Amino acid sequence: MAKSAQILPGTLDMLILKAVSLAPLHGYGVLLRIGQISNNALEIPQGSLYPALYRLEHQGLIDAEWGESDNKRKARFYRLTPAGRRRLKEEAASWNRLADAIATAMSATPQEA
Amino acid sequence: MFARLRSFVRMLFTREDFEHNMSDEMRFHMEAYTGDLVRGGMEPEEAQRRARVEFGPQAALQEECREARGIRVADELRQDIRYAARQCRRSPGFAIVAIISLALGIGANSAIFGMMDAVLFRTLPVYDPGALYFLAHGSGDDISTSANYPLVSRYQSSGIFESVTSTSRRTFTVASTQGPERVDGEYVSGNYHATLGVQFSLGRGFRAEPDRPDGRTPVAVISDEFWMRRFGRDPGVIGKTLTIDGGIVSIIGVTSPGFNGLFPGTHADITMPLFVRALENAAFLSQRDRWISVRIVGRLRSDRTEAQTRAAVSDLFRRYWAEPENERPPGDIRLGALVPAGKGAAEVSKRYAAPLRLLFAMVGIVLLIACTNVANLFLARGVSRSREVAVRLSLGAGRARLVRQMLTESSLLAIAGGALGLLVAFVSMRYIASAFLVGDRPLIIDAHLNGRVFAFTAAVSLVCSLLVGLVPAFRSSRVDVTPALKASTTRPHAGRWSLGRILVVTQLALSFLVVSVATLFARSVLNMRSLDAGFSRERTLLFNIDAGDRSLTQAERAAFFASLETRLRATPGVSALAYTQRSPLDHSVQTRPLEIPDLIIPKQSRGASANVVTPAFFGIFDIDLVRGRGFTTEDRAGTEPVAVVDEALVHSYFGSTYPIGRRVFLGADREPLTIVGVVRSARFEDLREEPPRTIYTALAQARLASSEPVGDVKRITVAVQTTSNTAALATVVRSIIAELSPRVIVSYVRTMEQQFDAALLRERLMAALSVAYGVLALVLSLVGLYGITAFGVAQRTKDIGVRMALGATRRRVLSSILGETALTSAIGMIIGSACALLAARLVAPFLFGIEPRDPGTLAGVTLLLTITALVAGYVPGLRAATIDPVRALKEN
Repeated sequence: MAKSAQILPGTLDMLILKAVSLAPLHGYGVLLRIGQISNNALEIPQGSLYPALYRLEHQGLIDAEWGESDNKRKARFYRLTPAGRRRLKEEAASWNRLADAIATAMSATPQEA
Repeated sequence: MFARLRSFVRMLFTREDFEHNMSDEMRFHMEAYTGDLVRGGMEPEEAQRRARVEFGPQAALQEECREARGIRVADELRQDIRYAARQCRRSPGFAIVAIISLALGIGANSAIFGMMDAVLFRTLPVYDPGALYFLAHGSGDDISTSANYPLVSRYQSSGIFESVTSTSRRTFTVASTQGPERVDGEYVSGNYHATLGVQFSLGRGFRAEPDRPDGRTPVAVISDEFWMRRFGRDPGVIGKTLTIDGGIVSIIGVTSPGFNGLFPGTHADITMPLFVRALENAAFLSQRDRWISVRIVGRLRSDRTEAQTRAAVSDLFRRYWAEPENERPPGDIRLGALVPAGKGAAEVSKRYAAPLRLLFAMVGIVLLIACTNVANLFLARGVSRSREVAVRLSLGAGRARLVRQMLTESSLLAIAGGALGLLVAFVSMRYIASAFLVGDRPLIIDAHLNGRVFAFTAAVSLVCSLLVGLVPAFRSSRVDVTPALKASTTRPHAGRWSLGRILVVTQLALSFLVVSVATLFARSVLNMRSLDAGFSRERTLLFNIDAGDRSLTQAERAAFFASLETRLRATPGVSALAYTQRSPLDHSVQTRPLEIPDLIIPKQSRGASANVVTPAFFGIFDIDLVRGRGFTTEDRAGTEPVAVVDEALVHSYFGSTYPIGRRVFLGADREPLTIVGVVRSARFEDLREEPPRTIYTALAQARLASSEPVGDVKRITVAVQTTSNTAALATVVRSIIAELSPRVIVSYVRTMEQQFDAALLRERLMAALSVAYGVLALVLSLVGLYGITAFGVAQRTKDIGVRMALGATRRRVLSSILGETALTSAIGMIIGSACALLAARLVAPFLFGIEPRDPGTLAGVTLLLTITALVAGYVPGLRAATIDPVRALKEN
């Protein structure tokens, strides 16, 4: 197992949006999917997942619906709304800009300073 | 933003589902995780423990979820509502008084608003009603929309408008199996429906049928209401026929619901093209020497402004007027004018606009009184609850939350008051609208609780909840915690007290205003009733006869009227009978130009009110002969045409000499009339105005319509003088006429008293409503004053006990309480009378025989309010006087 990293504050919402953008997921599925797409590099504190999901639902970025899980159990599935899709795009773009900027900054060498 | 609001609202209603969903979801999560751990090789028990630990404290997480979902606000709101409801239940008296006060106040406002909506605001359901104008003449307030047909065609061919059409009201006689029915309608030009853009439920409108008859069959368009009433909404009604005024007419269209013609107040159930009217007699189409009640309606051209059109209309009218063969408009009105027609003819709205606005102001004041009442109750309760508030504040409740809580309570009361107010509005609108259904042409006011009235009620309720709740809420939340907790009984501090007093003073001042206006209106009606109008109205029965059926010949009509007179005269209880073209206060206006040889009459006083009567007329209405003679049976066709004039006419044309034997020309008649008598003047047309100059001619010598032969009578009013029960004669009359001729229609059988009352409708209605508001204002003030005095006594029980223990007598205690009340009410009444004096100018136009600053009225209202104040003070004062000092001091 790769060494897992703590996620940055404020990025959880974006990761959830990304996860459910791929396919509708239940809460536990979101957790698994984030692990899977980050090669298990990111570890989400299980407890903070639900408040985040409810917050996103309240903002109308995701929608929830009862459905059946893989093992035929009733589960609440989240999907992205059009507003959520827009938000994900914005956040991804701004994250990429930030990450680039930080990477550039961190790769500076003494000569350039 | 919207998403959050939607989610919040959903939360308010699906609170329980939410809780279920949340725990189900979390359980699923842990079970799934446990399952995965077990599959990974862990012991089931250990897996469960691990899942629980990793998930974290579930209760705390759930709370976090609730907050994330915006539930806290929703929960608090639900708590507030529950708390408010509990408060109301705990003191039901308070809640009931508050809700009823608000309901009556809000209801009265919504009712008057509903009437205003029906009478003033509603536009015709036609295409672009704003572009429609009546082509009138006159200027300023003196605008007339009467015209004649040659003028219609002049406008039609002028090109000033996109389209010009005409309409005139008409009451049709429609045959049915239950006998002839009178149905309101209009005769219109063929392009009427197209010009207006009327919608149809079935069939079509007229297709620019020419106004002159050219051999086509008569057609009619019926209203949705008539379709329902007569045909039960039969979809196959198109092509069916009706017998209208004796002719067969086929139905070609049904207008869509809501369109009732161009005359608000009446419903035009049948519309027929002009050529049908012309079939009967085409002369009116070219008649230029009379103004008749035809209205011309034009639709503005899109490439012309209103001002350009106005100028063109004025120009055309001036040229038309200058042609010698055209009847000159009475007076000096020769300006063409445009009158907006988007709301239909303005007679009703003009007559009732000012009264409605005044009543609206009055109900606004009544509502303000109701609000101060409730606010005061809140304040008083706020004091008794200041301990509770202090406890809550010290336990950490936010002040904002407390304000919100009290506003929730006031909103709850306002919502209940508003809902009940809708009921009040519904009932009062029904009452007001039904009051209009009197007279020959009962006004149909389509007042109902529509969207606008609902919205208005909601807005008013919202304003009330703020008015009522905001001040007390802030007052209470500013409670100083420590002293309030320490005090064994709560003592109102001076600032709050004076606010309560100010509210009561305001209330009394406003009540004074409302009550004095109501008194003035009521006295005006009494004055009008006791006025000597110049005619008597006792024991007179009136009814209208329509013998215009096409199958009747002139000889048959004459025979009918002769035998009707004989039969009625022979009826027991009948002492006299007259036929008259017009009866007093029947709303008819007929001013005809009068020319007197060798006398130059200034243009502005050229016309005279004209009436056509039979000899018994003056006797029945007690109109005394001053000089000469009245009419006799000798004044018939073939003898010298004679006229009787009234004193007003003599006074304005001949001064002090009585013009017996003078010859005059009336209207376009080229044969002179000889004046044979002078009678007293009477207020025939309007009780408020000085009697008009009047000229009477003899029925046997007159043409009732210029196109008809002398002496031929189709429509006439019969006045019967009775010696016994007047109203009971009505059935006798009907049966005699039915017996004489089934083709003659009797309508509007009424006593002269009833007609008099119908003429006073506006004044009576204003008086009745304002008196109701006055009583309401008085009761509210009584409750308000009583409430604050009683509360004051309850709060000061201990003080009073101390004073009495120190030797104050019961009488002194009572008089000090009464003195306080009297002072409060005196200040209120002084301010109130100042308001009443300021409002005098506004109410003056509606008064009759009384000055708006009538000292007697002000004194009477002062007395009434003083008595009210003393009653309000006496009961609590008595309670204070019977306080037992020992018990009062022992308490607490």
